[in-house]
Amino acid sequence: MSNMALLLRTFARQGVCLSRQHYGVFYRHAAPMGTTAKEEMNKFWAKNNKLNRPMSPHLTIYNWSVPMMMSITFRGTGVGLSGAISAFALAALVLPGTYPHYLDLIHSLSVGPYLIGLAKFGLAFPVSFHTLNGIRHLWWDLGKGFRLPEVYRTGYTVIGLSIITSLAVAFLL
Amino acid sequence: MATQQLHPGNCGDLGWFIIMAAIVRLSSVCRRGVKPLFYQGTLLARPLVVPHNYQEQPHQLTARIHASQALNAGSGSKAASLHWTGERVVSILLLALGPAAYFSPCPAVDYSLAAALTLHGHWGIGQILTDYVHGDAKIKMANAGLFLLSTVTFAGLCYFNYNDVGLCKAIALLWSK
Repeated sequence: MSNMALLLRTFARQGVCLSRQHYGVFYRHAAPMGTTAKEEMNKFWAKNNKLNRPMSPHLTIYNWSVPMMMSITFRGTGVGLSGAISAFALAALVLPGTYPHYLDLIHSLSVGPYLIGLAKFGLAFPVSFHTLNGIRHLWWDLGKGFRLPEVYRTGYTVIGLSIITSLAVAFLL
Repeated sequence: MATQQLHPGNCGDLGWFIIMAAIVRLSSVCRRGVKPLFYQGTLLARPLVVPHNYQEQPHQLTARIHASQALNAGSGSKAASLHWTGERVVSILLLALGPAAYFSPCPAVDYSLAAALTLHGHWGIGQILTDYVHGDAKIKMANAGLFLLSTVTFAGLCYFNYNDVGLCKAIALLWSK
């Protein structure tokens, strides 16, 4: 089949008709398309939904990798942190009483010290991971660190530093 | 290529191969005359025949592409690009506010934190919606809901800053246990 492809390309590149000589390639004359990219995308999804097409397996069959897992964790921590902030803001608006009042309520539960440390770690780790991976993203935005070994190196650095800083913040501060 | 075996499936390919080879040969004859045909050798040996005016073609092609871009240049908008840059600026601002909140807590930092956190979260969730929500109506609904949520969030955080201890103090108090 590769012969076919090679021949087709040669055939297309040279052109066959004498009248198309100056184009050199089968190239439709440049003209703006009738639809926008957004319209095309919507048409794609509408057609798939209308025909009730099943979605091909993707997450269930593709081998997971560290970069993939870090990426979705980054997104997950983002959603989680955003949700927590919104919940806090809503509570501030809706609940009567002040913040110290509710803090005292939690204090009065008298939970063991290790559980408090665990809870602090549970709060600190998403913040830490999201912040450090965010810096990694900004590094990519500068165009650096895209080679695969570098991706893994920065990735493991982010994971390691996240755990260390979270532990430090939870148990030392 | 030359070692390809003749299976029943490949016969069709071979047929096309011959026809294509003939057409290519014929076209090159039409353009350049008969002489180059003898200099080029067999097609099997060099399937990628470079036409003599190939050098001009990329230039003409680029000229055409530039022409089409000129058609669209006026209607392009920088909104998406500016949005992207804005996202990065807010991210960096939020990074700077971390140490600021720890080393010099004050109302200015409290309100800046409220604004930066809300905007960063709003744009972040916006990207997630763009990824997973499809269809004009659903996208509009989702974004409206997000806008409402972000507004309430910002209002709540500002209310907390004004009527309660403030964000920096709140985190300090939470950690003091």
